[in-house]
Amino acid sequence: MLDLLLAGFGNVLSPQIFILITLGVAVGIVFGAVPGLTAVMAIALCLPMTYTLGPAAGISLLIALFVGATSGGLISAILLKIPGTPSSIATTFDGAPMMENGEGAKALGVGIVFSFIGTILSIGALMFIAPSLARVALSFGPHEYFAIAIFSLTLIATLSSGSMIKGIFAGVAGFAISTVGIAPVDAITRFTFGRVEINAGFSILTVLVGMFAVAEVIRVAESAHRKGGAPITPPLLVKIKGFGFSMAEFLGQIPNAIRSSLIGISIGILPGIGAGTSNIISYIAAKKRSKTPEKFGKGTIEGVVASETANNAGIGGAMIPLLTLGIPGDAVTAILLGGLMIHGIQPGPMLFITQGPLVYTIFAALVVAAIMMLILEFVGLRLFIKLLAIPKHILLPIILVLCAVGAFGLASRIFDVWTILAFGILGYAFVKAGMPTAPFIIGFILGPMAETNFRRGLQLSAGDFTGFLTNPIAGTFLALAALSILWQVYVALRPHKIATLPNAQD
Amino acid sequence: MSRNSELIIGLAMLGAGLGYLYLTMQLPRRGAVDATFFPYALGSAMAALGLLQILFTLRRSGFLPLAPSERLQPRQLLTVAATLGLVAGFIAALRPLGFPIAAALFLFAQFWLLTPSTQRPRPILYAVLAILSAVVIFVTFRYGFRLMLPGGPLTPYLP
Repeated sequence: MLDLLLAGFGNVLSPQIFILITLGVAVGIVFGAVPGLTAVMAIALCLPMTYTLGPAAGISLLIALFVGATSGGLISAILLKIPGTPSSIATTFDGAPMMENGEGAKALGVGIVFSFIGTILSIGALMFIAPSLARVALSFGPHEYFAIAIFSLTLIATLSSGSMIKGIFAGVAGFAISTVGIAPVDAITRFTFGRVEINAGFSILTVLVGMFAVAEVIRVAESAHRKGGAPITPPLLVKIKGFGFSMAEFLGQIPNAIRSSLIGISIGILPGIGAGTSNIISYIAAKKRSKTPEKFGKGTIEGVVASETANNAGIGGAMIPLLTLGIPGDAVTAILLGGLMIHGIQPGPMLFITQGPLVYTIFAALVVAAIMMLILEFVGLRLFIKLLAIPKHILLPIILVLCAVGAFGLASRIFDVWTILAFGILGYAFVKAGMPTAPFIIGFILGPMAETNFRRGLQLSAGDFTGFLTNPIAGTFLALAALSILWQVYVALRPHKIATLPNAQD
Repeated sequence: MSRNSELIIGLAMLGAGLGYLYLTMQLPRRGAVDATFFPYALGSAMAALGLLQILFTLRRSGFLPLAPSERLQPRQLLTVAATLGLVAGFIAALRPLGFPIAAALFLFAQFWLLTPSTQRPRPILYAVLAILSAVVIFVTFRYGFRLMLPGGPLTPYLP
C-alpha cells in the first residue's frame, strides 16, 4: 500500500499534474465562492480539457476542482453572508456575525485551516476504509448491486429537500430517462424514435450539464430584470496576521474538529445527504456540546469550525461509495463518475485490483489538492474576494459556451449540444416545480445498474424473485430501503415542530 | 407555491407517467420479465405519484397567495424565452457559421440580454469580450486540446 501511495505522490508531483492541480483548486475556489456557480459547473466546463490528458492528469484536475469548490463556499459565506454552495450554509451562522464584529479575517483563517483538516482526515478515512470495503464488495453479485442501487436511490429521493412525492418522482423520472437506448440483456432498442445517436442512451455529462449549468443560466435570465437585485460589492478586510487566530484557540477546537469530521465523513458516505446536510448537523452538534452555546449565532469560531470541517470531510466520505461501488452520492460525485468513465475507468471493487496505482494516484491527488487549497486560499484570498464581483451576466454565457464545447467534445456531434439544451429546459422546469434535481441525476445513473443487475440476478436464480430477499446483504439493503420510505412517510404525516437555527436563511 | 401551481405539477407528473406507459406499450414483449418490465414499473410509479400529488394538493389547506416577487413578470418570461432562443440559435449556427462566429454572436447578445436592469448595457465592451472569449476558447480547444470545433466559413483560412 505504501509503495503504491508513494508512486501516486510521484505521479501527482510531476510538473504537469502539479500545475493542473494548482489551477484546478484555484478555479474550484472561485466557483465555490461565487454564489450561483457550482462545483458541478466547474467540473463540467473543465471536462473537455481532460479529454486529451491521460487518466491520472485528467482525474487529478477534476479532483482538484472538487476540493477547491467545496472549500471556496466559505469565502462568500463569511464575507457576503451568502453561502457559495449549500455545504457552507452553517458557516454563515457565525462567519457573517464575526465579519460584522470586525473578525472577518479570523473567521476566514479558521474556515480555511479547518477545511484543510476536515479534508485530510476524510482522505485518511477514505484510504483506510475504501480498500477494505472494495475487498468485501468483490464478493457482491447482481443481487447485492441491485439492492444497493435501490437503497441509494430510495435514500436520496426521500431525503431530498422539499416534497417527498416530488423527490421520489424525480428519482423515478431519472431512472425512466436512463431506459432510453438499447436495453440490457435482451438488447431491444427503447424510446429512441429511430435516432441512432441515442442507441447508447444519453451521456451522463450532457444530462448533468443541462440540468445544472444550462438550467442555472435560464434561471439567471429570469431574474436579470427583477428589481431590487444589488450588485455584489467585495468587502474590505483589515490586514491578516498569520491565519488570524492563536495556537490556544486552534488547540481548543481540536475535539470539535474531530467530531465534525466524523459527522462529515459518515454523512458523506451515505448517498443523497452530503455536505449540504452535514455542515448543519455538525453545527447543531457543536452547539449542543459547547460550554458556551449562547455565543452561537453571534460570532464564535466554534460554529465556523464545525461547519467547515464537516463539509470538507464529506469529500473523502463521498469518494468511498464512488470508488468502491461506483455509486455517486450527489451531483458532484456523479459528474466525477462521468469524468472517470470518459477516461475508461469503471469505478467498483475491481478498480482496486486492476488499477491500483491509479486509485492511489487519486488518493495522492486529494492530499496535494487539500494542501494547495490551504496555500491558495491563504495567499490568494484578496484575489478571490475581488473575483466575487465578476458580474454573472458576463460569466454565465461564457460558462454556457464552454459547456457546449464539452458536450460537442464527447463525440464531435452537434446532437449532444442540443441534448444539453433539452435537459437545461427540463432542469429549469424542475426548479420552477420545486422538484429536487439530485434524485433525477442519481436515478439516471443508478437506473441502468439496478436494471442490469435485476435481470442478471433473476437469470442466476432461475426467475425466482425471492433470491433478492433471501440473500442476506441484498435483503438487508432492500429492507432498509423500505424502512427509509416508511420512516419518511411517518415523518411527513405526523405533526412536526420547526427547528430554528440562528440567522437561518429561509 | 399556489394550489393551482401544485395541481398543474401533479397533472404534468401524471401526464409524464401515462405518456411513458403509452410508449412502453409500443415495445415488443418477450416474456414476463423482459425489456419492458422496468419501464412498466417506472411509468406506473410516475403516474401513481402524479395522482398522489394531485390528491394531496386537493386535500391540503393553507396555500398562501404568491408574493409579487414570486410572480413571473411578462418581461422576465420574455428574457427566458429570448435566452432559450439564443442558445438554440447558437447551436443551430455552429455548423453553418462555425464556432468562432456563432459563439461571438451568441455571447454578445447574451451579455446584453442578461444585463441587470440596474446597469446600463456596454455594447463595445460586450463586443470585445465576446470576440475575445470566442477566439480564446476556439484556439485553446482546437489547437491546445485537439478538439475539432467547427470552423464554418473560416475553415479554409485556419492553419
